[in-house]
Amino acid sequence: MDQLPNLGREQEMLDIMGVSSMEDLFEDIPAAIRSEGPLPLPPPQSEEEILRDAEKLLGANVNLDSRPSFISAGLARNFVPSMVPMIATRGEFLTSYTPYQPEVSQGMLQAMWEFQTMISELVGLPISNVSMYDASTSAAEAITCAVRVKSKKVEMPNTVYVSELVPPHRMSVIENYTQGVGIEIRKIPHNEDGFLDLEAASGAAGSCAIYVEQPNAFGILDEGLLRLRDTVGEKTAIIVGVDVTSLGLVEPPGNWGADIVVGEGQPFGIGPTAGGPIYGIFACKKDFLRLMPGRIVGQSIDTAGKTAYTLTLSTREQHIRRHRATSNICSNETLIALMGAMHMALLGPVGLETLSTRILSSTRMAIDELSSLEGLEFAFPKSPVFREFAVKVPGKSSEALSHIFELGVIGGFDISQWWPEKESWILIGCDERTSESDISSLKKSLSSWVEASS
Amino acid sequence: MTDTIFDFNGSKSAGWSQPPPLTDDSISQIPESLRRNSLPEWPRASEPELVRHYTKLSQKNFGIDTGFYPLGSCTMKHNPRLNEKIVQNPGIDRIHPLQPEAQVQGLLAIYYEMQEMLAICSGMDTVTLQPVAGAQGEFTAIRCIQEFHRERGEGHRDKVIVPDSAHGTNPASASMCGYQIIEIPSAKDGRIDLDALRSAVGEDTAAMMITNPSTLGVFEPEIAEATEIVHSAGGQMYYDGANFNAILGKTDPGRMGFDAVHYNLHKTFSQPHGGGGPGSGPIGVKEHLSKFLPTPLVGRKELPSDESGTVGDGFWYHWVSPEQSIGKVQQWNGNAGAVVRAWAFYRRYGRDLERMSEHAVLNANYLRHRIMNPNPELNIHAMPIEGCPADVVKHEFTLSMSPLKELTGVSGKDVAKRLLDFGYMAPTLYFPQIVPECLMFEPTETESKEVLDKFAEDFHAILAEDPEVVLTAPHTTPVGRVDEVWAARNLILRYPKDEHSS
Repeated sequence: MDQLPNLGREQEMLDIMGVSSMEDLFEDIPAAIRSEGPLPLPPPQSEEEILRDAEKLLGANVNLDSRPSFISAGLARNFVPSMVPMIATRGEFLTSYTPYQPEVSQGMLQAMWEFQTMISELVGLPISNVSMYDASTSAAEAITCAVRVKSKKVEMPNTVYVSELVPPHRMSVIENYTQGVGIEIRKIPHNEDGFLDLEAASGAAGSCAIYVEQPNAFGILDEGLLRLRDTVGEKTAIIVGVDVTSLGLVEPPGNWGADIVVGEGQPFGIGPTAGGPIYGIFACKKDFLRLMPGRIVGQSIDTAGKTAYTLTLSTREQHIRRHRATSNICSNETLIALMGAMHMALLGPVGLETLSTRILSSTRMAIDELSSLEGLEFAFPKSPVFREFAVKVPGKSSEALSHIFELGVIGGFDISQWWPEKESWILIGCDERTSESDISSLKKSLSSWVEASS
Repeated sequence: MTDTIFDFNGSKSAGWSQPPPLTDDSISQIPESLRRNSLPEWPRASEPELVRHYTKLSQKNFGIDTGFYPLGSCTMKHNPRLNEKIVQNPGIDRIHPLQPEAQVQGLLAIYYEMQEMLAICSGMDTVTLQPVAGAQGEFTAIRCIQEFHRERGEGHRDKVIVPDSAHGTNPASASMCGYQIIEIPSAKDGRIDLDALRSAVGEDTAAMMITNPSTLGVFEPEIAEATEIVHSAGGQMYYDGANFNAILGKTDPGRMGFDAVHYNLHKTFSQPHGGGGPGSGPIGVKEHLSKFLPTPLVGRKELPSDESGTVGDGFWYHWVSPEQSIGKVQQWNGNAGAVVRAWAFYRRYGRDLERMSEHAVLNANYLRHRIMNPNPELNIHAMPIEGCPADVVKHEFTLSMSPLKELTGVSGKDVAKRLLDFGYMAPTLYFPQIVPECLMFEPTETESKEVLDKFAEDFHAILAEDPEVVLTAPHTTPVGRVDEVWAARNLILRYPKDEHSS
């Protein structure tokens, strides 16, 4: 109740209005639908009491920093520079909203214009919006965007091809976003090495779009994707989902023919945060600009000719175009994108390369260490990987992970939750914070499981 | 103008320092053809330069912390800092959404409490916290309604009805599910026109989407009749919870007859708006829609005794998948950080959440009264007209600036820009579109009487001043009026590549 400045002054204000009681302010709600009595909820608490309860509840969670941790699967256990949360949560940023009045919102507008530039540079495409909700909605809306742009120009309107290795939870979002508007999704298989089956992918020629991920769900970097443009021809849009932290070493998809690049922005800016708030990146070629989703900042001038920034191309958006809008997105993830911009700016190009190298190195060291472990099998031993790799353990992966957890290690992700037939598969994720001793703990605990189950 | 982040000439920073990689030769793992040829042209700046850059930018940004932010429909209330402190806890910041239940009992307990609280406040049966914005909540609920009709063999219902005063997200969300939109005109007083609704419904009606209080800030007294009309035709009623701040504890969408509702945790429950987001848009539904909700929800079961890893309340919390779930609308479990902030906010009020709505309504009516009753000695050119004539409004109200425009040429937009000079954020401009030259004011419960008095006084001063000053406003902001047409014509959407110097 300490949030109400006018508490105790109600009558004074009512008197000025000539209204006799607070109750009169609600006389327009018919008696038949009025609530009876107070809400059946607990009494109010003070800040101290709430903090105490919060610490108790959140303290019951096992945080990733409390032990060696190898769970990734699309989100990163990253290290966020101290400056980022401290400066990004300045009240002027934190408590503002969509910059509808550019004259008093130049700070966030410029920061987002700079964010657009950094994302554009990162993925090798000219256009970026100021964020989507997450990687899955970015991918889903990239597909609907590509269909809007391509449907009248291709032989297979409303048809999109998607890699079968897109994880089911991301695939489910894509299905929800595409089912109502008549888009048919066809799956493209991968071959035994985990690489996209390019012969099958050639079937996508003449469709609106093809969606693939680099690296894919098993961390695999697929050289064959460099031939994807030749495979599907000029007319079909290529949409690529990326791990943003790989792009300090890996060729950005914009340089090998991608029309739209999407992905999880989270590794830049914020911790995994139990899955949100995070942000999706969305970048594209100019042909998609007028039919893309999300907010875009443009440079402009003020009445005196001075450089200024403003939201632009708003006529695509729901508040103006209503049911003909390119998306329903209104609130997005700007503050988290701001954190991302700060993180990217601190890294700089060289720091990005270092970060990518650190992740690649720890992945490599983990693979090397585990390769001497008898009873453990690598699912794709010959394929190059970034951040993640899949192993097969004796017995069930869920039981193996419980065993490993008892030994003090979060050993990875149980792939059978995504693909039940892969019941012994574990997805092991490394990152810039993975240490030699973490890897050694993982090896010991895995070894213990192998022994226990033999 | 602040230099852009790409203009720090001379700075050759190798970037923020990091520990060395674990091995030296990892690059050899990446096939040569896949290796990046040139690094992105990101800034090369040091931390001191960047802290100052972003601090300067923040100083050119207006937030609730800066001043009064009466942006109608957005509920820009104070954001308690306790909530920000709580989400820095590693028990939320350093949690992965795929960790097993046993590792996240505290988070699941908070989710469960929030599901229950939101269900109680809205008169719904089941709540999911997965949608991450109000618009996504709308989309999710319409998807559930779509599956409900399909299961009953009524998939032919392909129309969604929205009033012409609806938020733009309503028609956009229904359209993304494949529905055709039937827009019905409001009655002359801005309220719902039941005759128009009766002639719009039919065997093809899937749902109606409406907010109450309406976007004009007035309660729809005939809402029960409206739900009856739609239900009789076999349609479902969807409640846009954007205006929930007005009615919490006084009535609820369940009593009004709605089947589904979304909540904006960033409005009603004070999750900060962050310059455009994050938001959080949970939805609640009645029993008949529960089995279609996105997966997973949180359930709990009693434990015989406190076991390790539990939160000590005698319950084990677990994920539950609704039997005919539409699947996922966000990849993980929603904006958990926003849910935790909203939890901390709700705990502050508990059963007294009603006081919050009372004060939101008190402040809106007070400000309306102050604005509509100026000092008669002032030389005001023309007073605005109420967007909807009503004895009382709820949490917000609309004014048409048409009389001023006709007399002096000063538009609603000009007044909005002039307000910036007085240190205020402008009200929502030109929405709802059914009110000409509309300004929409929502003061929220966290503004003092003095702020409201001063705002009304300054508003009157604008109505009385030289129109030329208003037409050319703002005058004291970091930049003058920004040319939006220029931006759309020139489309400079990133730092020019060829002019890059570093």
